[in-house]
Amino acid sequence: MRILALDTATRACSVALWQDGKIRRHRLRMMDRGHSEALMPMVVEIMGNVDFGDLDLLAVTTGPGAFTGLRIGLAAARGMALAAGVPCAGVTTLEAVAHAVPRSERTAPAVLVILESKRTDVFAQVFDPSLVPLTEPQAVAPEGVASLLPLPPPGGPSAIVVAGDAQARVLPVLAEAGFEPMSSSAPAVPDAAAVAAIAAARWRPDLALDDNFAPLAPLYLRPPDAKPAKNGGRLRP
Amino acid sequence: MIVLGIETSCDETAAAVVTGGRRVLADEILSQLEEHRPFGGIVPEVAARAHLENVDGILARAMDEAGLGFTDLDAVAATGGPGLIGGILVGMMTAKAIAAVSRVPLLAVNHLEGHALSARLVASVEFPYLLLLVSGGHCQLLVVEGVGRYRRLGTTMDDALGEAFDKAAKMMGLEYPGGPAVERAAANGDGGRFALPRPLKGRPGCHFSFSGLKTALRHTINGLPPGRLTGGDIADLAASFQTAAAETLVDRTANAIAEFRRLHPHLHAKGGATLVAAGGVAANRFIGGRLSDLAEKEGLALVTPPPHLCTDNGAMIAWAGIERLKLGPAGAMDGGLDFAPRPRWPLDPDAPPVMGAGVKA
Repeated sequence: MRILALDTATRACSVALWQDGKIRRHRLRMMDRGHSEALMPMVVEIMGNVDFGDLDLLAVTTGPGAFTGLRIGLAAARGMALAAGVPCAGVTTLEAVAHAVPRSERTAPAVLVILESKRTDVFAQVFDPSLVPLTEPQAVAPEGVASLLPLPPPGGPSAIVVAGDAQARVLPVLAEAGFEPMSSSAPAVPDAAAVAAIAAARWRPDLALDDNFAPLAPLYLRPPDAKPAKNGGRLRP
Repeated sequence: MIVLGIETSCDETAAAVVTGGRRVLADEILSQLEEHRPFGGIVPEVAARAHLENVDGILARAMDEAGLGFTDLDAVAATGGPGLIGGILVGMMTAKAIAAVSRVPLLAVNHLEGHALSARLVASVEFPYLLLLVSGGHCQLLVVEGVGRYRRLGTTMDDALGEAFDKAAKMMGLEYPGGPAVERAAANGDGGRFALPRPLKGRPGCHFSFSGLKTALRHTINGLPPGRLTGGDIADLAASFQTAAAETLVDRTANAIAEFRRLHPHLHAKGGATLVAAGGVAANRFIGGRLSDLAEKEGLALVTPPPHLCTDNGAMIAWAGIERLKLGPAGAMDGGLDFAPRPRWPLDPDAPPVMGAGVKA
């Protein structure tokens, strides 16, 4: 099975090629901007002499993340899928970060992933120790994050594993709510290597992609910042 | 030579397949009018979202219509600027992906060059020619000396004319987009009823300004009896606005013709001079009529591409790519998988800056 995965949703730009059950080639570059210039040359480099038509699957992060970043990755992935005639699977950024949390660290009842939105809120999702989602991905104020978590049993362990690049923004709130956050060693941003691994684990050639993957559409979690014009701007009723 | 062209720099998602022999094999377009209507104008984030939703579907339709596979292409051309960066990124990334998979060159086309060369897709227009480029985002007079060689004679110091039409339509309570709405309303109106200014008319130079005209229209509307505007008022306001805009365009273009004549005296001596009007506003029939009168009076041939090639489209982007490819290495243009989209990209980078004019083009 051959999978090409990409991610441009946050402060990283990464591409990975999955082949014969493992990551065969992988590049990740941290960058605040410039994803649109960097991505396709990285793809060409990673593909080397592998033909696009020999891929079984493409996989891309769908968000949440930077709106422009999501569109860069999705437009490229959908363009490649169309031209190569290869299906393309969506994986959320929150899943990608969660799956990078090592099994040995998932000792608490919940894994909380918190990603930066560059606004007052953060992107958050809670998973159980086997990484089954317990909540939907959402944009939430840091103060609201504690209410997403399963209540600790009375007198029981209140530890939770926290991952993601905006975790520092919620640590005080979690402590105040009585949780004991444990920071994961997982990378703070999504990585195409994790996206490829998730895609490989979930993909069933005989099933529709929708059954196992996020829809291949951006997960913005926020409407555009624009208000309908008052009276349409007209000077008279 | 077969080139796929992709246009996503404003509020149309468009793709076309064009041959070096000027055959348009497919020309697909999807307007975002409905998405933007509630806002009374184009919202960049709304536009970018709509482009991503639709661009691959529009492309697939264009390739189907052309009856071609991606491996039949000689190049993929996409608008690389100027325009709304969110949409340009979507079209450009899609184009890069297709170019990489199909192993053909990626051409980053200047949207304005697409408009500038579109006349040569439908008519045998030789260089050099005078170009009036009037759209929702741009208002310029240029001498097109050749592919990639442009001399800007004038540009707007404030609004583009299409933008002024949209704002005027809003004030009168006409629907969005304003250009066609004003033209329709004006058809039954008296263009002489309201005395609106003709900005810069009679002054030397080829620059434009439309903000004073817009303000005068606002004052005129505010000066009418209170309450709802009557259909007659709206028709007369629209006709007066359109007449004032057309007279300004004609005055500025007449100055540009004189300048063009000075730059290329031999062309005029043998009667081979051409004026090309392109961009969405060039599709306005009233304005087209006035430009036609001017061209006739000055002894120039007027070429206006058909309306679907005047407004934004993929065919002009594909064609601009073809014009570059035909020149071979001499036409070497921007592109490559690492191309960075350019929200600002003037056709004539050497043109002196103009007070008040946006630097985007």
